[in-house]
Amino acid sequence: MKINRRDFLKTTALTSLYFAGFGSPTFATDGPKKNLVVIMLRGGMDGLCAIPVKGDKNFEKLRSKINLDKTLKLTSDFDLHPALKTFKRLWDQNLGAAVHATNIPYTGRSHFDGQNLMESGGKIPYQVKTGWLGRGMKTAGLTGEGLALALPMPLLIRGVSMNNNYFPVGDKLPSKTTLELIQQAYKDHDEKLLGETLKIVMTRDLKNSGSDENWSLASNAGEQLSKPNGPRVAVFEVDGFDTHAAQGATNGAHADCLSDYDRIISGLKQAMTSEAFDNTLIVTLTEFGRTIKQNSSNGTEHGYGSAIFLAGGLVKKAQVHTDWPGLKKKELFEGRDLNSTIDARSVYASAMSTVFDVDFKLLQKEVFWGEGLQNLSDKLFKA
Amino acid sequence: MKNFFRKVAFGIGPNEDVPSDPLKWALDQLDEVPNLSWKGKIYSEKELRKHYRDYVYGDRKVLRKKYKDNKTLYKTHKNILRHKTGQKFWESLEISIRHNEGINSKNPVLAKLWMFWGNFFAISHKDYLANYSTGPYQREIIRPNLNQSFEKMVYDVTTSWAMIHHLDNSESAGPKSVTASEEWRRRKKEPATINENHARELLELHTVSPKAGYTQEDVIQLAYIMTGWQQRWSKKHLETGNVWFNSEYHQLGKKNVLGKEYKKGKKGLANVIRDLVNHPNCRDFVAERLCRYLITDEPTKEMKQPIIDAFKKSDGYLPEIHKAALKVTFEFNKKYKKFQTPENWFIQVAKIGDLQWPPSKEIMNAYELGFKPTRKQRFPEKILRRLGHHPYRAKQPNGWSDHSEDWISPELLIRRLFFADRSYSFIKPENDNKEFIEKIVNNNFDKPDLILDYMFKNMVHRKSERNVLLFNHPEFLKA
Repeated sequence: MKINRRDFLKTTALTSLYFAGFGSPTFATDGPKKNLVVIMLRGGMDGLCAIPVKGDKNFEKLRSKINLDKTLKLTSDFDLHPALKTFKRLWDQNLGAAVHATNIPYTGRSHFDGQNLMESGGKIPYQVKTGWLGRGMKTAGLTGEGLALALPMPLLIRGVSMNNNYFPVGDKLPSKTTLELIQQAYKDHDEKLLGETLKIVMTRDLKNSGSDENWSLASNAGEQLSKPNGPRVAVFEVDGFDTHAAQGATNGAHADCLSDYDRIISGLKQAMTSEAFDNTLIVTLTEFGRTIKQNSSNGTEHGYGSAIFLAGGLVKKAQVHTDWPGLKKKELFEGRDLNSTIDARSVYASAMSTVFDVDFKLLQKEVFWGEGLQNLSDKLFKA
Repeated sequence: MKNFFRKVAFGIGPNEDVPSDPLKWALDQLDEVPNLSWKGKIYSEKELRKHYRDYVYGDRKVLRKKYKDNKTLYKTHKNILRHKTGQKFWESLEISIRHNEGINSKNPVLAKLWMFWGNFFAISHKDYLANYSTGPYQREIIRPNLNQSFEKMVYDVTTSWAMIHHLDNSESAGPKSVTASEEWRRRKKEPATINENHARELLELHTVSPKAGYTQEDVIQLAYIMTGWQQRWSKKHLETGNVWFNSEYHQLGKKNVLGKEYKKGKKGLANVIRDLVNHPNCRDFVAERLCRYLITDEPTKEMKQPIIDAFKKSDGYLPEIHKAALKVTFEFNKKYKKFQTPENWFIQVAKIGDLQWPPSKEIMNAYELGFKPTRKQRFPEKILRRLGHHPYRAKQPNGWSDHSEDWISPELLIRRLFFADRSYSFIKPENDNKEFIEKIVNNNFDKPDLILDYMFKNMVHRKSERNVLLFNHPEFLKA
């Protein structure tokens, strides 16, 4: 089937629609601990490779060398890349969903500006020094409840103090006395961030051993997130989506990256208690999508609109939520990219509102400077 | 003031005198690019690229066919091929050469700037570039240009084999080129299209930066100018042939980048680079990056202006740009302390602590092709990887960050604690005494008594923990 925007709005099946408007404010509850996991897909995830639209001959022609020869079925209008096996299993249990034709409001096509903005949530690269997730946690009072599964502390989670990270190196720490002397030196020199960081090192309940592969990190994170007093937020990174050459199709570079994402959700699912997974939301984030058309290197160039994967027990239902813009030339952004019809920040603000039990409007104001975002909580997530 | 020696280099070793005029000491190191101080074997980029060729050819054209039905044998023979081509050794040798410049050469300031430009024009982790090519690229393309113009540096980088491979320019073909109308393209349904990757990074990372306000059309037009610059592909050498200008891939017709017109042909690239490096945003970008590397995360206009002026006045002559940057660094030395990146910190630990580092030339010369490198021969690559700052394995083409906060996290701090502890095992036996520590602290700190008191007033569980204290003291982490 070849769908355009108008048809799609009329005929979509499992796919829900996007309507403007605010949902009811949510408020703090005393319910079970809820977790938010954000997986950053760096390099520009090709939403049309991950969740291809069905039956669009023109699209297939433009990607003759990188079309998928087999797919998993999602809806009457969209398929799924076969590398996303765990995601499909979750989808089948109403624990997986996607938002399509979405992106942060950034059209510059630079990875580095784009990644800065996807993490900061701002509009001018490098202007904001904190991340939207960090500011959201601060608004929700979640100090010391963030865990980054990465070696540096991602910008995304900065803005709230005492975040931890885990990327084991496999060695023993020096003695407590020595660490205390260093801590005192940091204090004497008024080195707040270093002091705070060392305090975490000295007090945390994490082993320094283990693998730093994403599946293993996910397993450890899953255990931590399941603890009643464990972190409530985790952040992962998957690199390598920038496939200018040899993107591959069912197998290949992009498929490997999608598999890496899939292994993270698999690791989380396996390691978490069922109660914890039921109260967890896993969302993805990328800087932009990729061009509709393949290039002569059997890759794709930097684009605009992409897709967001949602997984976990807090997903409302299996759906591809979209206001599909169409893939005709005139419907593309600058004649070459999938358009973005949903501000991805609406999804993230709604996710934080749901998981942190904080009023959407408060997050909109405190995290995204009161910008015109839509509350999608009711459509995408369980209250 | 003594922090200046670490800020612009790697500190003062125990057998060196503290220069009485630090700025002159630094400025005197910039005009010439001397031979590398490493006394062991050094291999040319072409020799190492031949090993790259042997590996990819052997794997792709021989082993994959020969063992297509036997995964175990394929893996075994692929491993043999890795060692036959030195895949696990070269980057450790290159890091040894690199660190030796910082530790044992007479031009450590130049070495620190070499590292800056290597990261400015980063080759990130892709294919086997780190294993065979990034080290020699930094030695043969970046380093000889440290006393040339920025324009020449950009041109040499842009047309280097490593960068062409890194940013896919060989794959770029003009839609209006000779090759575009070739019969095989119609038959195989492979129309000629550009690959924008290299053009975009030439604008964004290597010259004017996004602040110049270029458009998508500028990127496309620059990619057109760059079409034809590619690796000379052959059945024998695959993608490892020398870079050349293949006019058959070149987009015909005039191009327009940032409002300037360029004729078709090979010279287009040199012409557009000349204009890009003379763009005001390029000068500002270079000044910003140098200040951020040397002085502070947030360079001010006051800091950048002298560097911008020197760039303009000297027509981008790098020694003059470097001198201006060092003068500004000296001027602001007291006010700003820069958190040192892990590799910079590690080289400082090695130099100031007079460690047995890098591995000796005897150890590295003993490597034999075809054999697995020894543990010591692989130390450099392994240690930097574990520190989280391997200079040839940045994750993306923008290289490693110069922002302090990107290097502060519990895990990154843990690594400095571990490696400071471990540094004790690299101490020369004759230095394992308090007098030595007093000497190095005196050489490198303005208030040595405070540091020594901090190190010695309390008992430590193991002697190695004194290294942990010294190398994790806030005055050591920053310079």
